[in-house]
Amino acid sequence: MTSPLKAYKRANGAWGLRNQVLILPMHSALSSTARAIADGSDGAVAISHDWSGEKDNDLARIIFTLSGYASNPNIFATIFLSIGNPEEEQIIKGAQALGLTRFTNLLLPEIGSMEKLQQEAITLANGYVKEAGAQERVDAPWSAIVLGLECGGSDALSGITANPALGVASDRLVELGASSVLGETTEILGAEHLLAARAIDPAVGKKIVEMVARYEDSINYEGIDIRGAQPSRGNIEGGLSTLEEKSLGAAKKAGNAPFTGTLEFGEIPKVAGLYFMDTPGHDIEQLAGFGAGHINVVVFTSGRGTPTGSAIMPTIKVSTNTPMYESIPDLIDLDAGTIADGIETLAQVGDRIFDEIVQVANGKLTKAERGGHHEFALSRMYKTVVK
Amino acid sequence: MTISIKGFDHGNRGAGIRNHQLILPTVVCSTHVSRRIATEVGAVTFAHQHGCGIIGDDVAGIDNFFVSLADHPNVASVLAVGLGCETIQSQELAAKLLSRNKSTQYRIIQESGGVEGTVAAGVKAAHELSEAFPSAPAAVVKLRVGLDFGREVSSAAALQQLLKDEGCDVVVAHSEASSAETFSKLSQENVHVIISFPSDSQPASGFPLIPVINVAGSGVLHMAIRGDFDIDESTLLTGIVELLTTVAAGSETVAEKSKSGEIRAPRVVRSA
Repeated sequence: MTSPLKAYKRANGAWGLRNQVLILPMHSALSSTARAIADGSDGAVAISHDWSGEKDNDLARIIFTLSGYASNPNIFATIFLSIGNPEEEQIIKGAQALGLTRFTNLLLPEIGSMEKLQQEAITLANGYVKEAGAQERVDAPWSAIVLGLECGGSDALSGITANPALGVASDRLVELGASSVLGETTEILGAEHLLAARAIDPAVGKKIVEMVARYEDSINYEGIDIRGAQPSRGNIEGGLSTLEEKSLGAAKKAGNAPFTGTLEFGEIPKVAGLYFMDTPGHDIEQLAGFGAGHINVVVFTSGRGTPTGSAIMPTIKVSTNTPMYESIPDLIDLDAGTIADGIETLAQVGDRIFDEIVQVANGKLTKAERGGHHEFALSRMYKTVVK
Repeated sequence: MTISIKGFDHGNRGAGIRNHQLILPTVVCSTHVSRRIATEVGAVTFAHQHGCGIIGDDVAGIDNFFVSLADHPNVASVLAVGLGCETIQSQELAAKLLSRNKSTQYRIIQESGGVEGTVAAGVKAAHELSEAFPSAPAAVVKLRVGLDFGREVSSAAALQQLLKDEGCDVVVAHSEASSAETFSKLSQENVHVIISFPSDSQPASGFPLIPVINVAGSGVLHMAIRGDFDIDESTLLTGIVELLTTVAAGSETVAEKSKSGEIRAPRVVRSA
């Protein structure tokens, strides 16, 4: 099947499905300024976060996350808002090493105040937005798609309707030469042996099992059993009984293709294929990991419904049940509840998801994009409380 | 002489120096909807990344943190906005808040017709709260002042004495790096106002519910962005009482004007 994709080609060979101008605050005190810049511009986007330059145990993870995010191929240009700390230089250098070519670093101390910073950044952002608008999409191969697989607010139908239907779409894309990345380590806990059995070689399988064990250890060091907190309250109300049951359903998003490899949080896949990335179950932290890992489109299945999206990655929502789809129409792009009602087959819904991914890749806006949902959260491995 | 302030009667939360309506997102997923509601009705809100994917002691910790924000004396009324499936359940949080204060409502995205439905319902609820619970004027008998020391301040002892002589309660906290979690801790101590001395490598920052007076040091960064600060450390002792009095009376600090500052709750466990 010839690729119908048209995308933005980046200097390092990566493909952008969007051409965003990102305002990236390097300090939490500049988050509100970043939002004001985006709101005051002709279409730039911003993220907010709560990192204030703390040099704690999560520093390397935070620098890596922001470098990766700032250089995502869906970005035309990034405007960094800096205080002048050395870690900010590290973030920018990291982003350049990962392919970012067009950026400006605005230094608050050089500009003099947040108010002046805001004015200067809006002018700059509008210039970039204009340039980005003039760039044309060109014919792109199937490998241009790097799909992220996510679920949130799962219910008893997740593993029967939306997740396996997404698996059909993922398998088709991987077969054609695209990449697909399953995240959320929390949500494969108990199903890791099934995924490991699909690894292209025993080393990859071993790595999947090790990543899950490592995750469980990182929780257990606090004396907590993750099974006491998962499934979440909403999952249980939605009909899920155990974490393992949730995991068996969640893993179906990755279809039946073999696993090419594993990725650390925010790591970029080097060759096309199906991957597992070690990310937390927290939907927004996990989306930040996908963004840092240069994923350029996400499909997000949900049983309960969620408005969240991303500043840089189009996020397609798929409902597991029709009543939810009908009750919150402005959140969900596609309904997979038709499978449970016997109206459509798994394959038919899988094909619909596939078609939607292609259309969104070519520029169709998702509901989260139209609603301006740009949630963001940094993932931390350690406590923030200093004792 | 003592500082005397005309504030707002906020019932059992005490008298406040601000009359904020708080749109409280109980989970990161509802922060965008909360901001839309707050913008429309002129309320305060904030972005945060908490409320779900939390385990162990953080569940009760974050829940209590949200309760303390809603309980703050500068808050007139609270609209809690939840998603519905998160760990911290907004209806339970709202029930807790309601048992303490009647000026509370909640809306849930998954039960209010999605984003547009929740924004419309939230705006209506916020107006209802303002109408049902107008704040009467009340004297702030004892101004509670939080001092956030992120650097060595030679006049620290003299400042504390000065504030005590003016009849203020003084709560002292020391920032390890940034002021983000220190502000959260001071808010749990119900301070009306914060005087912050960020470290020489940190910018001025704010906190949505509490006016923060940022004091500039003599370092390169603070001098370069002097406009983001309210007062210099070198003139602190001669100017702070007057500044504090005008801020307490309603004059906005620089950080309040720019709405700078995110809220970060203390976390004791990693995300799950």
